Amino acid sequence: MADTIFDVVVVGSGASGGTLAAHLAGMGVNVAVLEGGPPINTRTDFNTHAMPFQFPNRHIPTMKPGKQGFQSERARGVGGKSLTWNAVAWRLSERDFQGRAHDGAGENWPLHYADMAPWYEKIEREVGVCGNLDGLADLPDGIFQPPVPMKCTDLAVKRGAAKLGVKVIHVRKATLSRARGGRPACHFCGNCMAGCDVVAKYNSADVHLRPALKTGKLAIFHNSIARAVNVSNENRVTGVTYLNRETKAESVVRGRVVVVSCACVQSVALLLMSKSRLYPDGLGNSSGHLGKHFIPHFTGGVQCFLKEFIGKGGVNDEGFLDHAYVPSFMHARQRDYARSFGVQFNYQNHRAVGWARNLPGMGKAFKESVRERYPAFLTFSPYGEMLPNEKSYVDLDWTKLDDHGLPMARRHLHWGENDWKIFRDMTAWSVRILEASGVEILNVNQQPAANHELGGARMGADAKTSVVNQWCQSHDVKNLFVVDGSVFPSASEKNPTHTMMALAARTASYIAEGLRKKELA
Amino acid sequence: MSGRRETLKILGAIGATCATPYSSNELYGQHAGHDGAPLVQIQMPAGPKTLTAAEYALLSRMADLIIPATDTPGAVAAGVPRYMDYVAAVNAGMRQLLAKGCQWLDAQCGKAHGKRFVELDEAAQVALLEPLCARADRLAVLGQGAMEERFFKAVKSLTADGYFTSKTGLVDTLRYTGNTVMGEYPSCEG
Repeated sequence: MADTIFDVVVVGSGASGGTLAAHLAGMGVNVAVLEGGPPINTRTDFNTHAMPFQFPNRHIPTMKPGKQGFQSERARGVGGKSLTWNAVAWRLSERDFQGRAHDGAGENWPLHYADMAPWYEKIEREVGVCGNLDGLADLPDGIFQPPVPMKCTDLAVKRGAAKLGVKVIHVRKATLSRARGGRPACHFCGNCMAGCDVVAKYNSADVHLRPALKTGKLAIFHNSIARAVNVSNENRVTGVTYLNRETKAESVVRGRVVVVSCACVQSVALLLMSKSRLYPDGLGNSSGHLGKHFIPHFTGGVQCFLKEFIGKGGVNDEGFLDHAYVPSFMHARQRDYARSFGVQFNYQNHRAVGWARNLPGMGKAFKESVRERYPAFLTFSPYGEMLPNEKSYVDLDWTKLDDHGLPMARRHLHWGENDWKIFRDMTAWSVRILEASGVEILNVNQQPAANHELGGARMGADAKTSVVNQWCQSHDVKNLFVVDGSVFPSASEKNPTHTMMALAARTASYIAEGLRKKELA
Repeated sequence: MSGRRETLKILGAIGATCATPYSSNELYGQHAGHDGAPLVQIQMPAGPKTLTAAEYALLSRMADLIIPATDTPGAVAAGVPRYMDYVAAVNAGMRQLLAKGCQWLDAQCGKAHGKRFVELDEAAQVALLEPLCARADRLAVLGQGAMEERFFKAVKSLTADGYFTSKTGLVDTLRYTGNTVMGEYPSCEG
């Protein structure tokens, strides 16, 4: 095997790496996927249908006993974080790709919506996305399965929001509302983020990689933790050095092209770790911009009880977590900041009742108070777009090594003035919408919290200020690619995974073409 | 299956478990978890392992005053004291706070009534705890306030968490009906 030279070596098997590898294999390209963790059997390895009282600490672990390979921080296991995502799937709009052209803030993408639209469509047709055709300018419609009905509590918020001229729409998710391609429709057991044991929800292991194995063009290296992407003196990457997760033995897999797709911060970390004579500050980092422009979403939130549901008794409405969404509505309104926010809500799982301890009182009245409010509980979580700033970046901490002697990635995060303005406004709007819907407010989060990691290896037309071009191709090394959230030059307020998958499909096509024309290898 | 084996390349595999057992007919079939088997509460050891017998008795009484038996069983019957003992075993800070708080509460009862907390009648117990509960409810987060306020907040949190994640609390009291297989999601729109 050591003599094999693959056409493409992909580091990472999640939504980005899995999509890319499957597309390449489908086009006849020989692909090796390096995955830091073990294979995961989505059918049996997750605690999807468990209840908290089955565990001494009352917390449902994601995985069954003895399945230790998977954690969400560094999701090691075939499928990566696609196994535990919530599957929200938005297309970004032209305004999202060209935000700077609208408000002068942040960075434009080096591509337009028209460049991405066919790839969004390809992904939607492949994986199945349910949703409604809403005809919104800033949230393009796609090829959707029928939407899942909104929850009764969603409709109460929809009525409240309508009083303020704010729209509530059906969520769009890469979860099937109708059976297709050997996958059943969602059965609404309500524990989507602990794996989906029937693959109604998309994950890259079952929907992309497993079928791709049948082409005979795909090899998966399990338990193989990438340590460095190797570069020759001729300025070409030659393969990846990796460590066996269990034996820690070091090996090399060789490839004509290398794609780094190991989840934003970890991708940046791998490139920073890959030091060489040509690239002493990290591979593909001649610009000095690798690690910079780290722009995760920030979220806030309100926990509350909808008055009209207090005392209404138990209903089975967990569904597939959130069924509704408040799309960005600020573009048409006066405001003193750039960019915007959207709101996800009602995505709590009713198996956890962590809010009960915060209700006042004790005794029979306290018990009744929790019981009455249980069907009325609602979380409302706006997500805002962060603008890049110099104090927000990713680097390596060489004083903190993990079990394999590799430095830990360090996230530096600083909320800028524009971020705080959005945070305060999205919090105020959340309270306003909820009050119009008739709620008792339990808690309003006062601090932004990071979610959906993005940026760090941003794409751009200028090689001096970005790491990759619009094809996710390194400006420095022509046969090196980075494909995941790290390449986002601006985040938008929308959940990012659909865009990562569309980018992966687009990049796969570019790589296959480059290999065919012998321009890459 | 043999055809699949020919085309499937697994590298870096350790042992038979890594030979990915995917095949579409088994992947999407029905299986454990959808078979309707009842999900039962875990059996925790009877009596305290970490807390002293006196602490366990006092905390049990407090738990039952915070969430009493009504039309459904209360905190003790739902196994809350055993959950508290489990948390005390894995959380040294919590263990210490519970010990100090139990001592403080018994000292208060000694001064006022010449008795330990568990020896008081219910009315006296409630009269002691309700003002403390009101003070603890005003604490924004665990870890603030006077020791006795933090103590009560901790006991109330453990009681609420333990009770409402128990089978008695979640299924019988709150009437949780999820975690099922639904053919389609019921519409709320008429």
